[in-house]
Amino acid sequence: MTEEKLALLSEISDVLKAVTSKDVELKPGMNIVNDLGLDSIAVMNFCMALEDKFDISIPLNDMASVVTVDDLADTITTLRSNA
Amino acid sequence: MAILDKFSTLAARYDALKQSGSDPFSVKFDDIISSVEGVVNGKRTVLFGTNNYLGLTFDPVAMERSIEAIRQHGTGTTGSRIANGSYKGHEQLERELADFYGRKHCMVFSTGYQANLAMISTLVGKDDHLIIDADSHASIYDASRLGHAPVVRFRHNNPDDLAKRLARLKDVPGEKLIVAEGIYSMLGDTAPLKEFVDVKREFGAYLMVDEAHSMGVLGQRGRGLAEREGVEEDVDFVVGTFSKSLASVGGFCVSSIEGFDILRLAARPYMFTASLPPSIIASTISALETLRHEPQRRTKLRANSRRFYNGLKDAGFTVGPEANPIVAVILNDVAVATAFWKRLIDEGMYLNLALPPATPNSSAFLRSSVSAAHNDEHIDFAIELMTRVGREFGLIPDAEPDYSNVTQFPRVSAERPAARASIAPARRREADVGAGMA
Ligand SMILES: Cc1ncc(COP(=O)(O)O)c(C=O)c1O
Repeated sequence: MTEEKLALLSEISDVLKAVTSKDVELKPGMNIVNDLGLDSIAVMNFCMALEDKFDISIPLNDMASVVTVDDLADTITTLRSNA
Repeated sequence: MAILDKFSTLAARYDALKQSGSDPFSVKFDDIISSVEGVVNGKRTVLFGTNNYLGLTFDPVAMERSIEAIRQHGTGTTGSRIANGSYKGHEQLERELADFYGRKHCMVFSTGYQANLAMISTLVGKDDHLIIDADSHASIYDASRLGHAPVVRFRHNNPDDLAKRLARLKDVPGEKLIVAEGIYSMLGDTAPLKEFVDVKREFGAYLMVDEAHSMGVLGQRGRGLAEREGVEEDVDFVVGTFSKSLASVGGFCVSSIEGFDILRLAARPYMFTASLPPSIIASTISALETLRHEPQRRTKLRANSRRFYNGLKDAGFTVGPEANPIVAVILNDVAVATAFWKRLIDEGMYLNLALPPATPNSSAFLRSSVSAAHNDEHIDFAIELMTRVGREFGLIPDAEPDYSNVTQFPRVSAERPAARASIAPARRREADVGAGMA
């Protein structure tokens, strides 16, 4: 994993902690719904907080294809580079 | 069977709910006596979960016209308007709705759900952007999946958040459509439309407002929140439903945008489903006339809403932010809410139990809708009952308000005074009315 990716994962886990008070060490392969124990509403709040943090909008259709923490990091990276 | 395996979690949750002794998702009405009274489990029950805002489901004129329409034009149209043609009634209803809203165009759909599906999925295409409130109704979410535009959500009723999201799209090509609701169906709160209009203007977006729960309820003439807020000029599309204030079924969209009618050949949920039958069109036209000509119903509805909302608030319940006809008592515990709901049913009051994920923040609501057809007795009965149960459950403080002038149970309404269903064996058992949660 690159430095950048590690840094991003740590930023994502800060957001997760702020929104859901779950303090987990994020691993790229983790499944967002199952491994993080988030229901659909928690995912939505998490998602909105990420949008604020990174100043991006993650379209719902992009979010639909996000399954793992790795997918999420990639989506954020792509959206940030487009911004 | 394997194909249903994916529902095992849902099924387990539903089983647990049923184990607790109540099943809020399959309430069976033995009979419906009036707009606000029914029979559940052989017991006469006051209805506080209907969306029947103006109390028109038993309106005698609407019923007669509906029956006459069946005699004249039959029970169904057996096809879509594109494939099988329009009846005069469809066009008349569209003209009357356009006239009511002071707009050039109207399209009528077979349900309010389909009105949202059709309009939202068609107006924005893959190169456009759809921006919706995070607490939007399921029909708006489903529309966003049917269409091809990227979908962005903004925080519920938050104009700054909306502006932030539009700012991010500022230099991105494509049209932007913002969708908000007049009154939100779970909490009864209204959208900050004036502020949304400012944002919309700043970013050159289009604005659609779903007035499903505010038509016939808000505004001098009953056109909804946009009328009350004085921003109708800036609302490009109004969608609504016939299934609430207008007491039938169906939906519509009105707009003055040029070229509107091309949507009839582009919106699939309009093109590929059968049009509304003559009886429904006839009663809806009649109910719209009543809505327009009897503003006293709106006045009564407002007074009733305030009485009920204030009664529950004064008793110490946590209620939604505004005294609108949708009154939500917010309880945080699903099990408590379910037991509370069950007690109310057992004691003769029906309202909706709203559970996550239909509710914001994983809370559980006892969601009621007030009707112009409720009288003070119905409302005071409901307040007294909910207060008593709330105290018993330890949810609200014990106080000693004076209920000495409140009768124990409302009398039979005037609409079907002959109804004896609470003592007679239930008739029409098969005519179940679903426990619609908005
Ligand atoms: C906000 C909102 N929009 C649309 C609908 C759909 O209306 P209908 O039940 O007429 O399909 C509803 C309610 O069901 C609603 O609450």
